[in-house]
Amino acid sequence: MPIPMRHHRFLRLLVPALIVCSLYAACKKSDFENLEFADHAAEFAFPLFTTTLTLEDLLAGVLNDSLSNDTLLINDDGTMTLFYTGDVAQKPATDIFKFFQGGAFPLSDTVSMSPIQAPDGVIIYKAVLKGGNIAVSIFNTFNDTITGVLHIPQMAKDGVPFAFPFVALPNENFVSPAIPVDGYILTSTDNILQFRYEAYKPSGERVKFLIGGFFPGIYVGFNQLEFSYLEGYWGYSYYPLTRDTIDIDINQTNLDGNVKIKNPRIIMRISNSWGFPTRGVIKYLSFIRQNGEELKLETTAFVNDSIVDFNYPTFPNEIGQTKYTDVYLDETNSNIAEIFNAQPTQFIYEVNGISNALLDPTIIGFMTDSSIIKLSMRVELDLEGSAQNFGAEQTLDLNFGDYSSIDSFDIENVEFKLVTENGTPISTSLQIFFEDEAGNTIDSLFAGAPRFIMQSAPVNAEGVATGSTRTETLIPMSVEQFDRVRLAKRAVLQTAFTTADGGSIPVKLLATNQVTVKMGLKVKTRS
Amino acid sequence: MKYRILPAILMVTALKLEAQQEMMLNSLPDLWHSTTVNPAYFPKDKHFVIGLPGYSLDAAHTGSLTYNDIFIKDGDRTLLNFSKAIGALDPQNEVFFEQRIETVSLGLALGKWRLQAGHANRFSGVLNYPKSLPELIWNGNAPYIGQVVDVALQAKLFNWNEWSAGLSREFGRLTIGARLKYLSGTSALKTDDDHHLATIYTNPDIYQLEMETDYGFHSSAIVSAFDTSGLGFDLQLAKVKGKPFSSNSGIAFDLGLQLRVTDKLSLSASLLDWGGTIKWKENANYFRSQGKYNYEGVSFPGGDILNSGDSLDFESKLDTLNDIFNFKKTPEEFSTRLPERAYLSGSFALTEKWTLSVGYFYMKKADRQATSAVSASVRWQPVRWLSLGGMYSLNERSAANLGFHLALKPGPVQVYFASDNLLNAFSIKSSPAVNLRAGVAVLL
Repeated sequence: MPIPMRHHRFLRLLVPALIVCSLYAACKKSDFENLEFADHAAEFAFPLFTTTLTLEDLLAGVLNDSLSNDTLLINDDGTMTLFYTGDVAQKPATDIFKFFQGGAFPLSDTVSMSPIQAPDGVIIYKAVLKGGNIAVSIFNTFNDTITGVLHIPQMAKDGVPFAFPFVALPNENFVSPAIPVDGYILTSTDNILQFRYEAYKPSGERVKFLIGGFFPGIYVGFNQLEFSYLEGYWGYSYYPLTRDTIDIDINQTNLDGNVKIKNPRIIMRISNSWGFPTRGVIKYLSFIRQNGEELKLETTAFVNDSIVDFNYPTFPNEIGQTKYTDVYLDETNSNIAEIFNAQPTQFIYEVNGISNALLDPTIIGFMTDSSIIKLSMRVELDLEGSAQNFGAEQTLDLNFGDYSSIDSFDIENVEFKLVTENGTPISTSLQIFFEDEAGNTIDSLFAGAPRFIMQSAPVNAEGVATGSTRTETLIPMSVEQFDRVRLAKRAVLQTAFTTADGGSIPVKLLATNQVTVKMGLKVKTRS
Repeated sequence: MKYRILPAILMVTALKLEAQQEMMLNSLPDLWHSTTVNPAYFPKDKHFVIGLPGYSLDAAHTGSLTYNDIFIKDGDRTLLNFSKAIGALDPQNEVFFEQRIETVSLGLALGKWRLQAGHANRFSGVLNYPKSLPELIWNGNAPYIGQVVDVALQAKLFNWNEWSAGLSREFGRLTIGARLKYLSGTSALKTDDDHHLATIYTNPDIYQLEMETDYGFHSSAIVSAFDTSGLGFDLQLAKVKGKPFSSNSGIAFDLGLQLRVTDKLSLSASLLDWGGTIKWKENANYFRSQGKYNYEGVSFPGGDILNSGDSLDFESKLDTLNDIFNFKKTPEEFSTRLPERAYLSGSFALTEKWTLSVGYFYMKKADRQATSAVSASVRWQPVRWLSLGGMYSLNERSAANLGFHLALKPGPVQVYFASDNLLNAFSIKSSPAVNLRAGVAVLL
């Protein structure tokens, strides 16, 4: 059937129109301009951080943060011993026993005796001088020139007794130059030094220097005499030695913890090079709890609860040597274990000294210019024990970097995954409080109480970790909470540690024990 | 910038084709543009032809995915929505895309000789991608924790200008034609078949990302650089300039013959794009990523936390993601081969108005298996200026292709529309494949 003419025109228009339309639909570029994803829910997962910490690192870090005198000793078997030491108290003998203080000795006769300057109860038998000088002063009231020699027979150098010749002009004062005495040796049996002089007029007449016929006209002055060695008898003398405080920082916490440290001990070491008997008297020996409560350390390690006689080098064969005296206070001879269960935070001690407390007159003693008594007090803790909810708190500065500026509009929720791989025999509960710049708490990681996040590693009969235990904790968080947390500037970590089996058995902490803490994040976007 | 390459890929994904199959056009030798499938074709009794713009598109996607499965309109915006598309994907998917835009062509008959020349812009692309890639983009990596996700995309995409000049001659009932084509490459992206591994594994531990790549691709004037200076991963795309000539060049040949066995029976054969290879030299680079990359988040040495000012600082650690893929760029020339195509056909004029035709199509792409198709068609020309036709064809994708053509010849103008698959020709956005051809010419 022929197609009418009007249809011809229609067809002529229709086909190009169809072509253009179909091509337009296929190729319209604007379809792909500003192309965006349609709203949909997606979930992305990525890791946040990993950290591995050995117990050696952990304890070293804690110690470095606090006290300078703490030492962590890694024993051969990997166990660790923590030392808290106080300042070493040093007492040179010269601080307590002072000799030859100096001064002028008037010679009232041609032979005069003068006592050697020495502490009470000390008799000097021999003194080796290493410095200082003496001087002679003469008031010549005669009208003649007087010549003479001053002798100190007990003071000799290289076997030659001291002798000082002088010439004093008539009616003038004579002052000798300073006469060095280093190298001279003084000897005495009774702390008495003899001075003798011989003075003559030109006529050969022997004279005696007297002023007004009564006052001594000749003086011997000692100035800054120093000795390198003293020998003699030391009698009874009482004097203070030291007082010090040691901080026990592993217990610096606000939280309670039923901590039982196995075999805590204190070692008191006296290093003594004083050459005469010295007795230590313990005046004060107590621990202090955080609340200020005093815990008196009671021990049988001292004689009569307070006395310890220091070993000392003996005359004549041990001159220059140092002798040591160690006093061990442990759970066998003291209440220290009980004290440590109460988590003391300070140890305070005070020690005095007594020389020749037994007043033995037969003992010949000595001291040198370097004789010293050192007293060190050390608290030793083998890191072996048990704990139940032993608390520690640490504040970390936080910077979430790019996470803090993420646009969370499209986020529906997040879920943190905390993984611990624990090779220590300690379980841990954790709570983190997030703080803003001003220190205000803006949120916490968990609602309410701390959550258990780390199960202890399995332990053997000796309490040593034998493997690693993995613990996973999922921490869901609303986007509102996430927004608050990622703006935090500080995190206050409150941790509570419990040793294996609920803290019922002692465990050993080895230096090589380590824990790995890892965290990942899932972010779910809104649909 | 991140998504700029995505529309192109997804457009290819949405439009579906098989091979540049133009069997319907091959059955219409009197249409001027049919000379593109056989250089021996020339409209009967015409002396001078001006070929105006013509367009052909042949695209397919494995499975049943359509444009509308991916793109949704929201006012003036087009939104990507994979939620339906993912369900329609196979574990491995392929997109085929062949486009030809003929800008202008000329034909001149001089006695038994016919001369022809023309220009076309062509695009050829094959894209293979695993279902897991859009799944990962759409759902995030969390649903695939503990799974190795393949994200390697394989592509061979190239675009070129084709300048052609041809000659045919009648030898009695036989016409033989040949055409020389100068190929001028515009842009290309070709993944390296020997290095196409890219996987992402999200570790169930704390979601550490473990990426492994042994992935390489050649690019000319598409990808210029990977910017890893900022946070993330940014592809820098070169501006594809539609220069008519470039230093990316090649030569291809078309050969064809047409034999009018009788007044009613006609046979024809053609070989197209024979030997066509483009050597890419301009902005030609090889990008290679190789290695295993683990992103484990920030690593704080335990001692540092305790000793270095008691601080947890996440700053500056995240940018380690920048260098995960670490593509190394090496200037390197490469080549791409044009798909070689062949047609065999025969037609028989039942009456003056009815013609029956059968055809065979063969195509071979470099490094790929050959594909083929057969067809049977009928053509009705009720009047001199109108031609309508239908065709059934069978190819490796489908046994249910019903083709269609409409040609109008009002005066000297020739306008046509043809498709090997009528059902999708007018519903590109809702069909898993499309095949269409249209063009205009003036014949004198």
